Amino acid sequence: MTIALLALVGALVALYLTLFKVGVIGELVCNIGSCERVNTSRWAMFFGVPVAAWGLATYVVLLVLALVSVQRDTLERQIAWVLVALSGWSVLFSAWLTSKELFVIHAICIWCVASATIMTLIFLASLLELGRARRADRAERFDAHGAAPPVASGSGTMGGSPQG
Amino acid sequence: MSQKSARAQRSNVVRTQRAANLKPFYIGLVVVALIGIALIARTAQHSDASRPTIANVAATPVKAEGHLLGNPNAPVQILEFADFECPHCAEFATITEPDVRKRIVQAGLASYRYFDFPIGEFSNSVAASNAAACAGDQNKFWEMHDKLFQGQPDWSGENNPKAVFKAYAKSLGVDVSAWDACYDSQKHLADIKANHDEGLRRHVNSTPTFVIGTKQIPGAIPYDMFKAYVDTAAMAAASKPVAKSDSAPLKEAGTKP
Repeated sequence: MTIALLALVGALVALYLTLFKVGVIGELVCNIGSCERVNTSRWAMFFGVPVAAWGLATYVVLLVLALVSVQRDTLERQIAWVLVALSGWSVLFSAWLTSKELFVIHAICIWCVASATIMTLIFLASLLELGRARRADRAERFDAHGAAPPVASGSGTMGGSPQG
Repeated sequence: MSQKSARAQRSNVVRTQRAANLKPFYIGLVVVALIGIALIARTAQHSDASRPTIANVAATPVKAEGHLLGNPNAPVQILEFADFECPHCAEFATITEPDVRKRIVQAGLASYRYFDFPIGEFSNSVAASNAAACAGDQNKFWEMHDKLFQGQPDWSGENNPKAVFKAYAKSLGVDVSAWDACYDSQKHLADIKANHDEGLRRHVNSTPTFVIGTKQIPGAIPYDMFKAYVDTAAMAAASKPVAKSDSAPLKEAGTKP
Protein backbone atom coordinates (compact mmCIF):
# COMPACT_ATOMS: atom_id res chain seq x y z
CA MET A 1 0.00 0.00 0.00
CA THR A 2 2.76 2.39 0.94
CA ILE A 3 4.60 1.66 -2.30
CA ALA A 4 1.47 2.21 -4.37
CA LEU A 5 0.77 5.53 -2.69
CA LEU A 6 4.37 6.69 -3.06
CA ALA A 7 4.44 5.56 -6.70
CA LEU A 8 1.25 7.50 -7.39
CA VAL A 9 2.65 10.69 -5.86
CA GLY A 10 5.91 10.14 -7.74
CA ALA A 11 3.99 9.62 -10.98
CA LEU A 12 2.17 12.93 -10.44
CA VAL A 13 5.46 14.76 -9.86
CA ALA A 14 6.98 13.14 -12.96
CA LEU A 15 3.85 13.95 -14.97
CA TYR A 16 4.15 17.59 -13.95
CA LEU A 17 7.80 17.75 -15.04
CA THR A 18 7.06 15.87 -18.27
CA LEU A 19 4.26 18.26 -19.18
CA PHE A 20 6.66 21.13 -18.61
CA LYS A 21 9.30 19.50 -20.76
CA VAL A 22 6.93 18.87 -23.66
CA GLY A 23 5.56 22.39 -23.43
CA VAL A 24 2.07 21.85 -22.09
CA ILE A 25 3.03 23.73 -18.94
CA GLY A 26 4.91 26.93 -19.65
CA GLU A 27 6.41 27.47 -16.25
CA LEU A 28 7.16 25.40 -13.17
CA VAL A 29 6.13 26.40 -9.69
CA CYS A 30 9.57 26.51 -8.13
CA ASN A 31 10.06 28.60 -5.01
CA ILE A 32 13.27 26.87 -4.04
CA GLY A 33 16.11 26.24 -6.46
CA SER A 34 16.07 26.67 -10.20
CA CYS A 35 13.81 24.01 -11.68
CA GLU A 36 13.71 25.46 -15.17
CA ARG A 37 17.46 25.72 -15.45
CA VAL A 38 17.79 22.07 -14.52
CA ASN A 39 14.94 20.96 -16.75
CA THR A 40 16.23 22.80 -19.76
CA SER A 41 19.77 21.51 -19.33
CA ARG A 42 21.10 18.72 -21.50
CA TRP A 43 20.88 16.36 -18.54
CA ALA A 44 17.09 16.59 -18.71
CA MET A 45 17.12 14.23 -21.68
CA PHE A 46 18.12 10.56 -21.69
CA PHE A 47 18.34 8.67 -24.99
CA GLY A 48 16.34 11.42 -26.65
CA VAL A 49 13.47 11.15 -24.18
CA PRO A 50 12.88 13.59 -21.30
CA VAL A 51 14.20 12.18 -18.03
CA ALA A 52 10.86 13.12 -16.48
CA ALA A 53 9.09 10.84 -18.98
CA TRP A 54 11.39 7.96 -18.01
CA GLY A 55 10.51 8.70 -14.40
CA LEU A 56 6.81 8.75 -15.21
CA ALA A 57 7.03 5.37 -16.95
CA THR A 58 8.98 3.91 -14.02
CA TYR A 59 6.48 5.18 -11.47
CA VAL A 60 3.57 3.79 -13.48
CA VAL A 61 5.24 0.35 -13.62
CA LEU A 62 5.95 0.53 -9.89
CA LEU A 63 2.36 1.56 -9.22
CA VAL A 64 0.95 -1.32 -11.26
CA LEU A 65 3.27 -3.84 -9.60
CA ALA A 66 2.44 -2.49 -6.17
CA LEU A 67 -1.29 -2.71 -6.87
CA VAL A 68 -0.90 -6.26 -8.15
CA SER A 69 1.07 -7.24 -5.10
CA VAL A 70 -1.55 -5.67 -2.82
CA GLN A 71 -4.24 -7.81 -4.44
CA ARG A 72 -2.55 -11.13 -4.94
CA ASP A 73 -1.15 -13.74 -2.66
CA THR A 74 0.95 -15.51 -5.23
CA LEU A 75 4.02 -14.13 -6.99
CA GLU A 76 4.54 -11.72 -4.14
CA ARG A 77 8.16 -12.57 -3.79
CA GLN A 78 8.90 -12.21 -7.48
CA ILE A 79 7.08 -8.89 -7.57
CA ALA A 80 9.00 -7.73 -4.53
CA TRP A 81 12.26 -8.59 -6.31
CA VAL A 82 11.21 -6.59 -9.37
CA LEU A 83 10.19 -3.68 -7.15
CA VAL A 84 13.55 -3.74 -5.39
CA ALA A 85 15.49 -3.98 -8.64
CA LEU A 86 13.54 -1.26 -10.45
CA SER A 87 13.46 1.19 -7.56
CA GLY A 88 17.12 0.42 -6.73
CA TRP A 89 18.17 1.24 -10.28
CA SER A 90 16.03 4.39 -10.18
CA VAL A 91 17.61 5.51 -6.91
CA LEU A 92 21.06 5.17 -8.48
CA PHE A 93 19.91 7.07 -11.55
CA SER A 94 18.37 9.81 -9.37
CA ALA A 95 21.62 10.06 -7.39
CA TRP A 96 23.55 10.48 -10.64
CA LEU A 97 21.15 13.21 -11.78
CA THR A 98 21.33 14.97 -8.42
CA SER A 99 25.12 14.95 -8.62
CA LYS A 100 24.83 16.61 -12.05
CA GLU A 101 22.55 19.25 -10.54
CA LEU A 102 24.97 19.95 -7.71
CA PHE A 103 28.31 19.79 -9.47
CA VAL A 104 27.69 20.45 -13.17
CA ILE A 105 24.54 22.56 -13.55
CA HIS A 106 25.02 24.22 -10.14
CA ALA A 107 21.28 24.44 -9.65
CA ILE A 108 18.77 22.37 -7.75
CA CYS A 109 15.32 21.41 -8.95
CA ILE A 110 13.10 20.90 -5.95
CA TRP A 111 10.70 18.67 -7.91
CA CYS A 112 13.60 16.45 -8.96
CA VAL A 113 14.75 16.23 -5.34
CA ALA A 114 11.17 15.35 -4.33
CA SER A 115 11.13 12.60 -6.94
CA ALA A 116 14.51 11.26 -5.81
CA THR A 117 13.27 11.20 -2.21
CA ILE A 118 10.07 9.38 -3.18
CA MET A 119 12.07 6.84 -5.17
CA THR A 120 14.38 6.23 -2.20
CA LEU A 121 11.37 5.68 0.06
CA ILE A 122 9.92 3.24 -2.49
CA PHE A 123 13.23 1.38 -2.54
CA LEU A 124 13.28 1.09 1.25
CA ALA A 125 9.63 0.02 1.34
CA SER A 126 10.37 -2.55 -1.39
CA LEU A 127 13.20 -3.99 0.69
CA LEU A 128 10.82 -4.36 3.63
CA GLU A 129 8.25 -5.90 1.29
CA LEU A 130 10.81 -8.36 -0.02
CA GLY A 131 11.76 -9.39 3.50
CA ARG A 132 8.12 -9.84 4.38
CA ALA A 133 7.45 -11.84 1.19
CA ARG A 134 10.41 -14.11 1.90
CA ARG A 135 9.27 -14.73 5.45
CA ALA A 136 5.72 -15.44 4.27
CA ASP A 137 7.08 -17.74 1.56
CA ARG A 138 9.13 -19.68 4.08
CA ALA A 139 6.25 -19.89 6.53
CA GLU A 140 3.95 -21.16 3.79
CA ARG A 141 6.39 -23.83 2.76
CA PHE A 142 6.83 -24.79 6.36
CA ASP A 143 3.06 -24.95 6.70
CA ALA A 144 2.71 -27.05 3.53
CA HIS A 145 5.35 -29.59 4.46
CA GLY A 146 4.62 -29.59 8.15
CA ALA A 147 8.36 -29.67 8.63
CA ALA A 148 11.37 -27.43 8.82
CA PRO A 149 11.92 -25.18 5.79
CA PRO A 150 13.98 -26.84 3.09
CA VAL A 151 17.61 -25.82 2.96
CA ALA A 152 18.15 -26.27 -0.77
CA SER A 153 14.67 -27.01 -1.94
CA GLY A 154 14.86 -26.42 -5.69
CA SER A 155 11.30 -25.20 -5.32
CA GLY A 156 11.39 -23.18 -8.49
CA THR A 157 12.24 -19.78 -7.01
CA MET A 158 15.06 -18.05 -8.75
CA GLY A 159 17.50 -15.45 -7.61
CA GLY A 160 19.39 -17.25 -4.87
CA SER A 161 18.45 -18.98 -1.69
CA PRO A 162 16.67 -17.08 1.07
CA GLN A 163 19.79 -17.38 3.19
CA GLY A 164 21.77 -15.42 0.66
CA MET B 1 -6.99 -33.41 0.20
CA SER B 2 -9.18 -32.02 2.99
CA GLN B 3 -6.18 -30.03 4.23
CA LYS B 4 -5.84 -28.55 0.76
CA SER B 5 -9.49 -27.54 0.46
CA ALA B 6 -9.40 -26.06 3.95
CA ARG B 7 -6.41 -23.97 2.93
CA ALA B 8 -8.18 -22.88 -0.26
CA GLN B 9 -11.26 -21.93 1.73
CA ARG B 10 -9.14 -19.98 4.21
CA SER B 11 -7.42 -18.27 1.32
CA ASN B 12 -10.77 -17.29 -0.20
CA VAL B 13 -11.97 -15.84 3.07
CA VAL B 14 -8.73 -13.89 3.44
CA ARG B 15 -9.05 -12.61 -0.13
CA THR B 16 -12.65 -11.47 0.39
CA GLN B 17 -11.71 -9.76 3.63
CA ARG B 18 -8.74 -8.13 1.98
CA ALA B 19 -10.86 -6.83 -0.91
CA ALA B 20 -13.26 -5.26 1.60
CA ASN B 21 -10.36 -3.78 3.56
CA LEU B 22 -8.76 -2.38 0.42
CA LYS B 23 -11.78 -0.33 -0.61
CA PRO B 24 -10.84 2.77 1.44
CA PHE B 25 -7.28 2.41 0.15
CA TYR B 26 -8.40 2.47 -3.49
CA ILE B 27 -10.72 5.38 -2.82
CA GLY B 28 -7.79 7.19 -1.19
CA LEU B 29 -5.59 6.51 -4.21
CA VAL B 30 -8.21 7.83 -6.60
CA VAL B 31 -8.67 10.94 -4.47
CA VAL B 32 -4.90 11.58 -4.41
CA ALA B 33 -4.73 11.07 -8.18
CA LEU B 34 -7.64 13.43 -8.81
CA ILE B 35 -6.23 16.12 -6.53
CA GLY B 36 -2.83 15.81 -8.21
CA ILE B 37 -4.27 16.01 -11.71
CA ALA B 38 -6.46 18.98 -10.75
CA LEU B 39 -3.43 20.83 -9.35
CA ILE B 40 -1.41 20.11 -12.48
CA ALA B 41 -4.27 21.22 -14.72
CA ARG B 42 -4.60 24.43 -12.74
CA THR B 43 -0.89 25.12 -13.04
CA ALA B 44 -1.01 24.38 -16.76
CA GLN B 45 -3.91 26.77 -17.23
CA HIS B 46 -2.21 29.45 -15.19
CA SER B 47 1.10 29.17 -17.00
CA ASP B 48 -0.44 28.97 -20.44
CA ALA B 49 0.60 32.51 -21.16
CA SER B 50 -0.01 31.89 -24.83
CA ARG B 51 2.91 32.41 -27.13
CA PRO B 52 3.23 36.10 -27.90
CA THR B 53 2.36 37.17 -31.39
CA ILE B 54 2.16 40.52 -33.04
CA ALA B 55 -0.64 39.37 -35.31
CA ASN B 56 -3.30 40.51 -32.88
CA VAL B 57 -1.64 43.71 -31.79
CA ALA B 58 -3.85 46.56 -32.80
CA ALA B 59 -2.33 49.05 -35.16
CA THR B 60 -1.09 51.60 -32.68
CA PRO B 61 0.66 54.85 -33.34
CA VAL B 62 3.80 53.55 -31.56
CA LYS B 63 6.87 54.86 -33.28
CA ALA B 64 9.47 52.35 -34.40
CA GLU B 65 12.49 52.94 -32.21
CA GLY B 66 14.55 49.84 -32.47
CA HIS B 67 17.31 49.30 -29.94
CA LEU B 68 20.23 51.66 -30.15
CA LEU B 69 23.91 50.87 -29.75
CA GLY B 70 26.50 53.63 -29.84
CA ASN B 71 26.30 57.33 -30.44
CA PRO B 72 22.99 58.37 -32.03
CA ASN B 73 24.73 61.36 -33.56
CA ALA B 74 27.44 59.35 -35.29
CA PRO B 75 27.97 60.31 -38.93
CA VAL B 76 26.46 57.06 -40.24
CA GLN B 77 23.39 55.25 -39.04
CA ILE B 78 23.12 51.51 -39.42
CA LEU B 79 19.79 49.76 -39.06
CA GLU B 80 19.45 46.04 -38.81
CA PHE B 81 16.16 44.25 -39.38
CA ALA B 82 16.50 40.81 -37.91
CA ASP B 83 14.64 37.87 -36.47
CA PHE B 84 16.08 36.32 -33.31
CA GLU B 85 15.16 32.87 -34.54
CA CYS B 86 16.62 33.18 -38.03
CA PRO B 87 19.88 31.21 -38.43
CA HIS B 88 21.48 33.73 -40.80
CA CYS B 89 20.84 36.49 -38.29
CA ALA B 90 22.49 34.36 -35.62
CA GLU B 91 25.42 33.74 -37.95
CA PHE B 92 25.87 37.47 -38.49
CA ALA B 93 25.37 38.29 -34.80
CA THR B 94 27.97 35.80 -33.64
CA ILE B 95 30.56 36.02 -36.41
CA THR B 96 30.48 39.49 -37.94
CA GLU B 97 28.72 41.72 -35.46
CA PRO B 98 31.44 41.64 -32.78
CA ASP B 99 33.82 43.21 -35.31
CA VAL B 100 31.20 45.71 -36.42
CA ARG B 101 30.65 46.79 -32.84
CA LYS B 102 34.31 47.06 -32.00
CA ARG B 103 35.70 48.63 -35.13
CA ILE B 104 32.75 50.66 -36.35
CA VAL B 105 30.30 51.43 -33.55
CA GLN B 106 32.73 51.77 -30.64
CA ALA B 107 35.10 53.67 -32.92
CA GLY B 108 32.33 56.23 -33.34
CA LEU B 109 31.98 55.74 -37.08
CA ALA B 110 28.34 54.75 -36.91
CA SER B 111 25.41 54.08 -34.64
CA TYR B 112 23.68 50.74 -34.77
CA ARG B 113 20.00 50.13 -34.28
CA TYR B 114 18.34 46.73 -34.08
CA PHE B 115 14.77 46.40 -35.33
CA ASP B 116 12.74 43.30 -34.59
CA PHE B 117 11.54 41.81 -37.84
CA PRO B 118 9.86 38.49 -37.02
CA ILE B 119 9.39 36.99 -40.46
CA GLY B 120 6.66 34.60 -39.40
CA GLU B 121 8.56 31.47 -40.32
CA PHE B 122 9.50 30.60 -36.78
CA SER B 123 7.46 29.96 -33.70
CA ASN B 124 9.49 31.78 -31.06
CA SER B 125 10.69 34.93 -32.84
CA VAL B 126 8.26 37.28 -31.16
CA ALA B 127 8.76 35.60 -27.81
CA ALA B 128 12.51 36.19 -28.15
CA SER B 129 11.97 39.82 -29.13
CA ASN B 130 9.71 40.16 -26.12
CA ALA B 131 12.38 38.61 -23.87
CA ALA B 132 15.05 40.98 -25.23
CA ALA B 133 12.82 44.05 -24.90
CA CYS B 134 12.09 43.15 -21.29
CA ALA B 135 15.82 42.81 -20.62
CA GLY B 136 16.15 46.18 -22.36
CA ASP B 137 13.94 47.69 -19.66
CA GLN B 138 16.85 46.98 -17.34
CA ASN B 139 19.46 48.17 -19.85
CA LYS B 140 20.41 44.63 -20.80
CA PHE B 141 18.96 44.48 -24.29
CA TRP B 142 22.26 43.88 -26.04
CA GLU B 143 23.42 41.34 -23.51
CA MET B 144 20.17 39.46 -24.01
CA HIS B 145 20.45 39.94 -27.78
CA ASP B 146 23.83 38.20 -27.69
CA LYS B 147 22.59 35.41 -25.43
CA LEU B 148 19.60 34.78 -27.67
CA PHE B 149 21.66 34.51 -30.81
CA GLN B 150 24.45 32.49 -29.22
CA GLY B 151 22.00 30.08 -27.65
CA GLN B 152 19.54 29.98 -30.56
CA PRO B 153 19.59 26.15 -30.86
CA ASP B 154 18.61 25.88 -27.19
CA TRP B 155 15.27 27.63 -27.61
CA SER B 156 14.49 27.74 -31.33
CA GLY B 157 11.34 25.76 -31.99
CA GLU B 158 11.07 24.79 -28.31
CA ASN B 159 7.71 24.64 -26.69
CA ASN B 160 9.06 26.32 -23.61
CA PRO B 161 11.26 29.16 -24.82
CA LYS B 162 10.44 31.25 -21.78
CA ALA B 163 12.25 28.84 -19.49
CA VAL B 164 15.45 29.30 -21.51
CA PHE B 165 14.98 33.07 -21.77
CA LYS B 166 14.45 33.28 -18.04
CA ALA B 167 17.64 31.35 -17.42
CA TYR B 168 19.46 33.84 -19.69
CA ALA B 169 17.91 36.77 -17.80
CA LYS B 170 19.05 35.26 -14.54
CA SER B 171 22.58 34.71 -15.81
CA LEU B 172 22.73 38.34 -16.96
CA GLY B 173 21.91 39.59 -13.49
CA VAL B 174 18.54 40.95 -14.57
CA ASP B 175 15.90 41.39 -11.87
CA VAL B 176 14.08 38.21 -12.82
CA SER B 177 10.76 38.98 -11.16
CA ALA B 178 10.52 42.33 -12.98
CA TRP B 179 11.59 40.65 -16.21
CA ASP B 180 9.03 37.93 -15.64
CA ALA B 181 6.22 40.41 -15.07
CA CYS B 182 7.25 42.33 -18.18
CA TYR B 183 7.44 39.16 -20.28
CA ASP B 184 4.01 37.96 -19.23
CA SER B 185 2.42 41.37 -19.68
CA GLN B 186 3.66 41.40 -23.30
CA LYS B 187 3.78 45.15 -23.02
CA HIS B 188 6.46 45.43 -25.70
CA LEU B 189 4.45 43.75 -28.42
CA ALA B 190 3.32 47.10 -29.76
CA ASP B 191 6.98 48.21 -30.02
CA ILE B 192 7.91 44.96 -31.74
CA LYS B 193 5.07 45.41 -34.17
CA ALA B 194 6.14 48.99 -34.81
CA ASN B 195 9.69 47.79 -35.56
CA HIS B 196 8.30 45.15 -37.87
CA ASP B 197 6.08 47.69 -39.61
CA GLU B 198 9.09 49.93 -40.13
CA GLY B 199 10.74 47.05 -41.95
CA LEU B 200 7.66 46.51 -44.10
CA ARG B 201 7.61 50.21 -44.90
CA ARG B 202 11.16 49.82 -46.16
CA HIS B 203 10.20 46.71 -48.16
CA VAL B 204 12.37 44.42 -46.09
CA ASN B 205 11.55 40.87 -47.10
CA SER B 206 14.37 38.81 -45.66
CA THR B 207 16.53 38.78 -42.57
CA PRO B 208 18.96 40.07 -41.78
CA THR B 209 18.60 43.23 -43.83
CA PHE B 210 20.80 46.23 -43.17
CA VAL B 211 20.33 49.87 -43.94
CA ILE B 212 23.70 51.60 -43.97
CA GLY B 213 23.29 55.27 -44.64
CA THR B 214 20.95 55.30 -47.59
CA LYS B 215 21.72 51.81 -48.92
CA GLN B 216 19.61 48.80 -48.07
CA ILE B 217 21.52 45.53 -48.12
CA PRO B 218 19.92 42.14 -47.57
CA GLY B 219 21.91 39.18 -46.21
CA ALA B 220 24.53 38.39 -43.60
CA ILE B 221 27.28 40.28 -45.38
CA PRO B 222 30.90 39.84 -44.27
CA TYR B 223 32.72 42.47 -42.27
CA ASP B 224 34.80 43.88 -45.14
CA MET B 225 31.73 44.53 -47.24
CA PHE B 226 29.99 46.01 -44.24
CA LYS B 227 32.89 48.36 -43.60
CA ALA B 228 32.95 49.38 -47.25
CA TYR B 229 29.29 50.39 -47.09
CA VAL B 230 29.96 52.35 -43.88
CA ASP B 231 32.92 54.15 -45.48
CA THR B 232 30.83 55.04 -48.52
CA ALA B 233 28.01 56.31 -46.31
CA ALA B 234 30.51 58.27 -44.21
CA MET B 235 31.93 59.94 -47.32
CA ALA B 236 28.42 60.77 -48.52
CA ALA B 237 27.57 62.19 -45.09
CA ALA B 238 30.78 64.25 -45.05
CA SER B 239 29.99 65.76 -48.40
CA LYS B 240 26.47 66.66 -47.24
CA PRO B 241 26.91 67.45 -43.55
CA VAL B 242 23.44 68.83 -43.06
CA ALA B 243 21.58 66.08 -44.86
CA LYS B 244 19.75 63.59 -42.76
CA SER B 245 19.56 60.00 -43.76
CA ASP B 246 16.30 58.21 -44.18
CA SER B 247 16.91 56.56 -40.86
CA ALA B 248 16.67 59.81 -38.98
CA PRO B 249 17.66 59.52 -35.33
CA LEU B 250 14.96 57.86 -33.39
CA LYS B 251 14.34 57.96 -29.71
CA GLU B 252 17.20 56.39 -27.78
CA ALA B 253 16.45 52.99 -26.39
CA GLY B 254 18.69 50.52 -24.68
CA THR B 255 21.75 52.62 -25.33
CA LYS B 256 25.02 50.91 -24.73
CA PRO B 257 28.30 52.77 -24.89
